[in-house]
Amino acid sequence: MIKTLIIDDEPLAAGIVQEFLAEFSQFQVLEVCQDGFQGLKAIQHHQPDLIFLDIQMPKITGFEMLELIDSPPAVIFTTAFDQYAVKAFDAMAIDYLLKPFSQERFSKAIEKFLAQANEPRVEEREGLNQLAEKSNRLVVRVKNEIKIIPIHEVTYFEAEDDYISIHTHGGKYLKKMTMKSLEDAMDPGKFARVHRSFIVNLNQITQIEPFERDSYLLKMRDGAQVPVSKTGYSRLRQVLGI
Amino acid sequence: MLERIFGFYIPKGGNNWLLLVLPLLLSLAGIYSHRFILQWVFDGELAYIDFLKDHFFLRWAFLALAEIFVALIAIVVSKLEQQEETRKREMMMNELSREAELTQLRQQLQPHFLFNSLNSINALVVSQPKKAREMVLQLSEFLRGTIRKDHHQWLSLEEELNYLKMYLEIERVRFGHRLEVQFELAEDTKSMLLPQLLIQPLLENAIKHGLYGVTGEVKITLQTRKESNYLFLKITNPFDPEAASTQGTGFGLSSIERRLFLLFGRKDLLETKIENQTFSVELKIPQLK
Repeated sequence: MIKTLIIDDEPLAAGIVQEFLAEFSQFQVLEVCQDGFQGLKAIQHHQPDLIFLDIQMPKITGFEMLELIDSPPAVIFTTAFDQYAVKAFDAMAIDYLLKPFSQERFSKAIEKFLAQANEPRVEEREGLNQLAEKSNRLVVRVKNEIKIIPIHEVTYFEAEDDYISIHTHGGKYLKKMTMKSLEDAMDPGKFARVHRSFIVNLNQITQIEPFERDSYLLKMRDGAQVPVSKTGYSRLRQVLGI
Repeated sequence: MLERIFGFYIPKGGNNWLLLVLPLLLSLAGIYSHRFILQWVFDGELAYIDFLKDHFFLRWAFLALAEIFVALIAIVVSKLEQQEETRKREMMMNELSREAELTQLRQQLQPHFLFNSLNSINALVVSQPKKAREMVLQLSEFLRGTIRKDHHQWLSLEEELNYLKMYLEIERVRFGHRLEVQFELAEDTKSMLLPQLLIQPLLENAIKHGLYGVTGEVKITLQTRKESNYLFLKITNPFDPEAASTQGTGFGLSSIERRLFLLFGRKDLLETKIENQTFSVELKIPQLK
């Protein structure tokens, strides 16, 4: 049996996935969830092999939900938006169904899943954040709660092994992602990578002062200090126009 | 007309000296011929001929001045006409682009809404064919409404609401389990008039932000009241400030603001408010006398 979940906020849309999936007897739908919060719980509870995931959903999007899972199951996106297509494949989706879709198109996606199910899946999360549009918020998990952080509240990001720590006025949060994908997701006019392990919010800088030879120190609005490397400094000068 | 005639005679740019020289030459020729005619007519009256000779330059100056004056007036008149023409053309262009913009703003259909509705129909076709057919008809009616050409025509609130209900029916098929829309209409507002398709995008916005901004049930209210010569229309939806930084905020509203400006030339007809957990937008529609 292949354990499956459907996550879609429109019952009819979830219904058609169920209807089409009934053609394949080896799949079993364990739960139909109506938003990302339910979806997250159900994924942790059932450990499914495959999920059908809508993108535009209440409060958090399908992408944001996926980012919160450490080892996500195989995903087939179902959405009416096609602006997300590029991102969906970056997120290692098996396939991407544009609503409305036919039984034939659906079966193709299932075959694709079956063909890939035998191969070991690469744990590749790079590029999950490569949005078509620049993101203006971050979704993190604090124990069992989901928190949405508006991007302008972030003072700076710091790399910590596999995680990024997000420093805000309200506290510090951890999120599993790479500096590269974070840098790509941020608006270059608002954030700058000033160091191998630091990305700062340009609006939160109060002072730049020389530190050691060829390096500088940023004083942030909340009192924190962020080191700036030589290349980071020239990048900073460029974006700030100094 | 005048412009076209004068167009050929009006000196352009560097030829401005012609304006002075041509009348001078013309008046000189005129004065000369004049003099010869007078000499021929008054042949023998020596005193008069001498008088003519003495005042030759004075008469020339007079005639030249008069001619220069006439030329200047002609130019001024033609310039004025030209200006008027340009102004008219500009007005026409503005009117045309305003029309185009209004049409475009009215027709901004959310493709997301369309595709998701089609997807719902796709789901209903097998399980509830009757319901599917109903939805096809509603969707068609709705689409027909959005491409109606005539935006000068105002509708009564009641007529507009009938159209809105069609839209709501579609949304209810999609989100019936979560969505509740409540109308609170003051009796005296039902016959008041408003431009077509002004409320729908506001309602759509409220539904979208309600549905995607919070989890669980979403209650949307539409209230109307009459105050002096205005129809007031207020739409509220639940709102979660935490999730508010989603994409796509505001678009619906800015295009409505633009439309109101194009229709009434005013920017104070739309007001938004955030109170506790609700977002409300109030629309003020001036009534034609």
